[in-house]
Amino acid sequence: MAADSVLKVLFELEGVFIHPSSEEGGSEQDSLISGCLRIVDKDADVLVEYRPLEDSDPSNMLCAGKDSSSVMEWDQCSGEKLLETQQSYETEWDMINAVSFKRRSVTNGEGSLNPAPCLPGSLNPAPCLPGSLNHSSERSRWAFSFSLSDLRCIRVKEQGWSFLLLQLSESCRSPPALHFHQGGSRDFLDSLRRFAVISQAAGEEVCLMVSSPNRALSQSFENLLDENNFGLVNQKFRNDPYVTTLGGFSKVTNYIFDAFRGTEEQHQRPPEEVADLLGEVIPGLEINQQEEPGFEVITRMDLGVRPPVSRRDPVSSEEWSRHQDAEGRMINVPLLKQIIFKGGLCHAKRKEAWKFLLGFFPWESTVEERKVLHRDKTDEYFRMKLQWKSVSEQQERRNSKLRDCRSLIEKDVNRTDRTNRFYEGLDNPGLVLLHDILMTYCMYDFDLGYVQGMSDLLSPVLYVMESEVDAFWCFVSFMDQMHQNFEEQMQGMKTQLIQLSTLLRLLDLSFWNYLEAQDSGYLYFCFRWLLIRFKRELSFQDVLRLWEVMWTGLPCQNFHLLLCCAILDSEKQKIMEENYGFNEILKHINELSMKLEIEEILQKAEGIGLQIKSCKDLPASISSILGWDPPAPPPALRTPQRGAACSSPLSRDSSAQNGCSPAFIS
Amino acid sequence: MTTKTSLLKVILLGDGGVGKSSIMNRYVTNKFDAHLFHTIGVEFLNKELEVDSHQVTLQIWDTAGQERFRSLRTPFYRGSDCCLLTFSVDDSQSFLNLGNWKKEFIYYADVKEPEKFPFVVLGNKVDVTERQVSTEEAQQWCQENGNFPYYETSAKDATNVAIAFDEAVRRVLALEERTDHLIPTDTVKLHRKPRSATSCCS
Ligand SMILES: Nc1nc2c(ncn2[C@@H]2O[C@H](COP(=O)(O)OP(=O)(O)O)[C@@H](O)[C@H]2O)c(=O)[nH]1
Ligand SMILES: [Mg+2]
Repeated sequence: MAADSVLKVLFELEGVFIHPSSEEGGSEQDSLISGCLRIVDKDADVLVEYRPLEDSDPSNMLCAGKDSSSVMEWDQCSGEKLLETQQSYETEWDMINAVSFKRRSVTNGEGSLNPAPCLPGSLNPAPCLPGSLNHSSERSRWAFSFSLSDLRCIRVKEQGWSFLLLQLSESCRSPPALHFHQGGSRDFLDSLRRFAVISQAAGEEVCLMVSSPNRALSQSFENLLDENNFGLVNQKFRNDPYVTTLGGFSKVTNYIFDAFRGTEEQHQRPPEEVADLLGEVIPGLEINQQEEPGFEVITRMDLGVRPPVSRRDPVSSEEWSRHQDAEGRMINVPLLKQIIFKGGLCHAKRKEAWKFLLGFFPWESTVEERKVLHRDKTDEYFRMKLQWKSVSEQQERRNSKLRDCRSLIEKDVNRTDRTNRFYEGLDNPGLVLLHDILMTYCMYDFDLGYVQGMSDLLSPVLYVMESEVDAFWCFVSFMDQMHQNFEEQMQGMKTQLIQLSTLLRLLDLSFWNYLEAQDSGYLYFCFRWLLIRFKRELSFQDVLRLWEVMWTGLPCQNFHLLLCCAILDSEKQKIMEENYGFNEILKHINELSMKLEIEEILQKAEGIGLQIKSCKDLPASISSILGWDPPAPPPALRTPQRGAACSSPLSRDSSAQNGCSPAFIS
Repeated sequence: MTTKTSLLKVILLGDGGVGKSSIMNRYVTNKFDAHLFHTIGVEFLNKELEVDSHQVTLQIWDTAGQERFRSLRTPFYRGSDCCLLTFSVDDSQSFLNLGNWKKEFIYYADVKEPEKFPFVVLGNKVDVTERQVSTEEAQQWCQENGNFPYYETSAKDATNVAIAFDEAVRRVLALEERTDHLIPTDTVKLHRKPRSATSCCS
């Protein structure tokens, strides 16, 4: 039987139960169905199968081990009641459905592309193999099987044991709840993750959205393709159905675009090739990251109007003092952060405030405690400084890593903010400090060493601190945030580019599509913005303002990505009207440097944040990028004085709005 | 009488600090900025020029040299018509690395016939008195590695910068002319990118 189909069992777990009573309103009160849950690869399609184990029927058990094709599809006709049960979940799904795309309802011809047993339209009891049909007792009708590509959503529930509710695409009937009385639900989910992208739904810890490569593809092409091209795309991807990258994704998109454009001029080629390569470089390793935009499932989001946002004056010395108690502890910190977010700091307070903002000083420390900390940190700094200072020339000759660091640092220190009074001229002590701190940082984090861009991050910090030790430790804290950007694989850069792409697509699909059509969908042109947090894009003074605002961590995580969106929003008209291509976009963005208006960008970015926040069916990927995953926020995240911070429209209160889902949670 | 404008992509490669960005700026804006930042990411500038009555738009690409950024730099090698391998005469290490840059370029640019690809070698900072690389050494390397033209430049005082770019353009055009004779015209399009698509052949 089914000898000619290639079958590989990828995961197998016995002791998974179905509770017929709850499924059917009590027809089989007492009996639980125990069965075997498997993930199988069959003819290059990944299926999830469940087979009841029938103790009384050894033949069936045998069969279960060998032949998956005998598994019956989830039985439709057992269904009127079941439907009702399912609908009681429906309200909960609503939220998820809203963000899941509609699969093109292909009524025929799809079978060959997608050999899932669960075909849209096959509403009759599955055509099962004769053998198992004969045994089709009460139990075996609980068997089911579906293609992973039809799986939309998994709800994880707990009631002493875990059980999973699997939601399939509209066209397919969803299977009964699976109860993991003997454990293993986590293993099952982990296994699924190997073949599909599973991410948390917005605002719901227990709800996992599933998207598989095939599905993402069909979605993206939804608007692009007619029937003929569809075959073509799918064929291209079938070679590698589970592992697909945005790179490959873009390639195919381009391919299709080309097909539509007809004979596109040859001079288009190099940018496209460059883009393909970049696409491979950038998201190539992202498969296990859930931000993969190719898989994200977004229909049109209804963003309301952007609310007007006002900014305030920088926090003055008096205001700062008012947030300090007699022992020097900072008080009302959330409010303090809020006003820093809204207006930045006056320059006189930066030297002190940045140490807190960056985490060198704990907010709740007293002046005395800080003195002790400072003394210890001073010792520690000079110990590390001595390490490289005491390396002799001979030693260094045998230490290529140190030599390279030194040479890179020397070159870059000479090319960092040389017009700033702190670093200008030939023998400016600022240059020596910059050099020494960077060298010491190499000792602090020898694995990372020195990477270009780090001098840009240090320079403003040193300028504000005017102290080698303080600047070093503040830089260390800053680098903790930025570390990934500079690591060997530049994972931080890749992640950010993908996150930005995901955001931009939500905010402005038409612009995103335009960029994608210009082979710029992965936003390479934002590289410098992200690597060094706009350091090269703004005047030195504006960088100071921007950074202190960012370091408040308000109004959301990754606020800098909203800044990117704000700038792009201002540029999109020009880019689209002038019909800029790959090269022109890169050039245009590079040349924005020093032309940006900081307060305007901050306002716009904050406004965009508010817009997103008030968006009802926020996709999980978006809320996780912005740190708005609010399944009953842990106490630590709650601001103590919610009332006080309330004046801001962006205080944490609004998490309730984003998480309108609680109303649906049972 | 027909004028045609070719768009030529030229890329500057070499160790960090040899003066690639300074050379590009000197050539395009005729300025030397001693306060220039080190390059982050990828940049390019366009320059219109006329060489032997050919209208040419040079698109000059400049990248960051550090190893770490390789994967984000190399995609831009594609479609280059010419590569300017750059070192600094006061930095012997940058000279020793020329071979690696050449290799990296050929590998990632996906050049069809590497032996025929027009490289030009620039020894920059000749205004500096403490040299670590002699003219003879450099010339010898160029000879042995494909008979590349060699120019000693200074972005600081503008020595040989324009001349080197002119030579680069000539090399590319000469190569394409040769190809024009050998291969039917539609294949040539692959190589040359007519900007204003006025009819061919002058
Ligand atoms: N003396 C001298 N210095 C130069 C010359 N060209 C560049 N420089 C300096 O060398 C350093 C590195 O130059 P840059 O253009 O940034 O090098 P890149 O990393 O290759 O782009 C800078 O400090 C420049 O001012 C030159 O021709 N002569
Ligand atoms: Mg440079």
